[in-house]
Amino acid sequence: MGGRPDREHDLDKELRDHLDRLTADYVKGGLDEREARRRAMLEFGGIEQIKEGSRDVRPLHWLDVLAGDVRYALRACCRCPGFALSAIVTLALGIGGSTAVFTLVSATRTAMLPFADPDRLVQLSGTVMRAQLERRFASYPDFLDWRAQATSFTDMAAFDQQRLTLTGFAEPERIVVEFVSAPYFSLLGVAPMQGRTFQQDEDVVSNPSAVIVISDGLWRRRFGADPRIVGRTIALTGGPFKTYVVVGVMPPGFRGLTDGAELWVPFLQWAPAGIMTDRNQRWFAVLARLKPGVSVGGAQAEMTAIGARLEQAYPASNVKRGVEVTTIDRELLGRVRPVLFTLLGAVVLVLLIACANVANLLIARSQARRRELAVRRALGASAGRLLAQLMAETCVLSAAGALAGVALARLAVGLVVGYGPVPFPSYFAPDIDRRVAAFAVAVTLASGVLVSLLPWLQTRVATLLPSLKESARGATDRGKGLRHAVIVAEVSLAVVLLVGAGLLIKSVRNTIAMNPGFDYTGVLTLAVSVPRVEGASRPAVEGRVLLERVRAVPGVVAAGLGSDIPLDGNAVGVFYAVEGEPSTIDPQRRPRAYQHRVSPDFFKALRIPIVRGRAFTQADQVPASTSVIVSEALAARFGPGQDPIGRRLKFGALNSTNPWLSIVGVVGDVSYRRLPRNPDGDPDLYTPFLDRNSQVALAIRTAVPPASVASAVREAVRATDSSIAIYGLAPMTEMVAQQTSRIRFVTWSMGVFAAVALLLALVGLYGVLAYLVAQRTREIGVRLALGARSAAVVALVVRQSAAVVVVGLAIGLAGAAALTRAIEGMLFGLTRLDPGTFAGVGLIFVAAAIAASYVPARRATRIDPIVALRED
Amino acid sequence: MTSPKSDLPQGTLDMLVLQVVALAPIHGYAIAQRIQQISKEVLQIPQGSLYPALHRLENKGLLAASWDESETGRDAKFYRLTRKGRVQLKQETDNWARLSGAVRLILRTTEGEA
Repeated sequence: MGGRPDREHDLDKELRDHLDRLTADYVKGGLDEREARRRAMLEFGGIEQIKEGSRDVRPLHWLDVLAGDVRYALRACCRCPGFALSAIVTLALGIGGSTAVFTLVSATRTAMLPFADPDRLVQLSGTVMRAQLERRFASYPDFLDWRAQATSFTDMAAFDQQRLTLTGFAEPERIVVEFVSAPYFSLLGVAPMQGRTFQQDEDVVSNPSAVIVISDGLWRRRFGADPRIVGRTIALTGGPFKTYVVVGVMPPGFRGLTDGAELWVPFLQWAPAGIMTDRNQRWFAVLARLKPGVSVGGAQAEMTAIGARLEQAYPASNVKRGVEVTTIDRELLGRVRPVLFTLLGAVVLVLLIACANVANLLIARSQARRRELAVRRALGASAGRLLAQLMAETCVLSAAGALAGVALARLAVGLVVGYGPVPFPSYFAPDIDRRVAAFAVAVTLASGVLVSLLPWLQTRVATLLPSLKESARGATDRGKGLRHAVIVAEVSLAVVLLVGAGLLIKSVRNTIAMNPGFDYTGVLTLAVSVPRVEGASRPAVEGRVLLERVRAVPGVVAAGLGSDIPLDGNAVGVFYAVEGEPSTIDPQRRPRAYQHRVSPDFFKALRIPIVRGRAFTQADQVPASTSVIVSEALAARFGPGQDPIGRRLKFGALNSTNPWLSIVGVVGDVSYRRLPRNPDGDPDLYTPFLDRNSQVALAIRTAVPPASVASAVREAVRATDSSIAIYGLAPMTEMVAQQTSRIRFVTWSMGVFAAVALLLALVGLYGVLAYLVAQRTREIGVRLALGARSAAVVALVVRQSAAVVVVGLAIGLAGAAALTRAIEGMLFGLTRLDPGTFAGVGLIFVAAAIAASYVPARRATRIDPIVALRED
Repeated sequence: MTSPKSDLPQGTLDMLVLQVVALAPIHGYAIAQRIQQISKEVLQIPQGSLYPALHRLENKGLLAASWDESETGRDAKFYRLTRKGRVQLKQETDNWARLSGAVRLILRTTEGEA
């Protein structure tokens, strides 16, 4: 390789020597010089072929060939910078887009979870069969039975989470605390960085030790990375003890299954003893690790059998109750993954369109280069060599496209993670790693092959000899069919993407336009935790006082307070019984509702309409109150025309000792737990807010933009008591935005993909039409000279365009009808076959086709017959 | 008198080239001439395959080449047999002797039976 020029020179000299000697021999034989040389050359044969043959036997010769091809390709690209640039940009869009989405997909694979062997970790959840199978977590006695009876798992741990207030510092702080059984840490395969985690005896109810494990982040933030942290005490409010001893610090990056935990406490330490023996109290999930060789299906079968045994043994609490075994990756990544896979599918369509576009460019160019190719063929290049050369050319293009594309992907991934609306987990670290690089290389090679195969097919189809003879003028339309097929494919792919994006955009519009039953605009929300004063029966700060202070803030119109507010995820479901209705323990028929404890102004602040009766008054806010307000959906159970006001219900079973509550009002239904709709059909009921809660949420209606009073509200709350911890202070529109973040992310991305697809398809279409006009300039010139009117010439162009678009549209719409199944679950308020969207996309494409044919058609009518006829 | 020319059996060109080179260092043109002469004009070296063959043998290390002054006074590329080439030649000629002997035997036997 190094001595390439030498070897070439050597070879040349050697062959020349041979020829000279042959010539000399002929001269000796009596021929004159010229004739002798002619004879010698004839006898010797094709020098170039001999040279090629001698080069072929060199070691690593193929590298030389490749380098030659690449050099040739680079020269070819430089000769047509416009062509090269558009091809590279197009490929960069396709390769960059798919690499970006693949980077995200790759970052959400199970192996990326920050736990040991995450694919063997499962979550066990209780289920109940109601109108549909609903998930209901586990009760502690059930958990103990599962653990004692199941053989599919190496171990099991209960886990729950809650926000608690860390006190004893200048400013109290709300942190996420996980309540876990001792094996929790070993199940996840995480060891403490300092000290220890929990021991088995700390899993026993009677154990009085108040121990905690803290995160690395908390250790650094609050304890200045104190090397003697183990043994220090921490003050936490809301638990059974005042202070806790730190026994361990977890390694950096470990944030528990909730991906936000900063503190861990033993599961049993915190719960009131009564709750731990009650099979009807279900509130936590169970983490378990599959034994080697046990499948999820096998574990599920065993747990189903155990569930059935428990149902028989404890019918009062466990009727129609079962257990669901799910992999931990489904629990943690199950919501974000389908979104990314949908996008990957979409972006692959964009890539295909990009390839088609570049292929079309190449076909058009190879049409122009037919003579060049034919000459090369005639000079002895085999079909394989020509293909290799074409591939080298497209590979140079796609390599350049890939470089630009990967840069683009980097940028896009950064934007999505930094500014995208989807909250990704903390361990989500998308990176252009080796896997992604391999993907990018594979995609680049695949697109290079795909793109060069079509023009090559065309050169193979075309017989070569005629093209040597014919001039460009008579060029046949052999490439036309192929190019049209490619354009049809492009149009149909773009149609699929546009339909998908259209459906999603409409769906987001429907979601936003949907009335959730409350008015979230102009509302500021926050949550506070009120510390208890030791020994006092009342909290240090009363809700009433808090509300008065907040109401005094300028700009505040109304302030409501509740145990939870819509969309904050703290709603609690309860069973209730209605006076005059038969008692039942069958969960399928037993009435259930979500209970919210609210202050009188709660409905006013959120503009939840009072349909009948009245809202709460200050007089209701006493422990002896028996007033209850129900939602319209709950009132509906009394039947049409029946006045629900005055009817009575109680929490729990009919025969329980709970007091009867009288309905004093009916309010509108609210999408309290999820937008656009609640996940289940259970209605809501409201009881007066008593100062019992240590955690409350506020909804504040303002006359000015809510964010502008945020700091004033914070000051007002803090002024009441500096030990109050404030969190989640934000306009309620942010909560709503979070609810719709996934669908907005998909919609936005799909919109971008569809726009790129539409643009590429149009460019492709324009290219084909412009080429058509250019190729038929002579013919059109003749027609014009013979008196054809412009309209006829325009029709010529438009006919081509219409044919391509109509066929592409038909295929695309049919494809969309099938493929939109992938996004069906994300649609709201329309079907995946929404006729409006399909018709709209059709119109867009017709309009786009007209736009794409306008310039070529105009150019056709401007052809000067004389110039056209003179043109070779 | 010109005898009918024969095509070289597959794979024998390398052996013939090695054999000719074994006698003395020699250049490409002379190799072609020599093979033709020795074989009494029966064997015609296809010019297209001589040089690829020479370069292949050189790449394999069976031949070594250097530029030297030739009998006509001009420089030519002379090929010499390397030790490795000599071993290879020995193997190939033995092989060939065995093969051609066997073939001759079969031909004679079948002739006798006919």
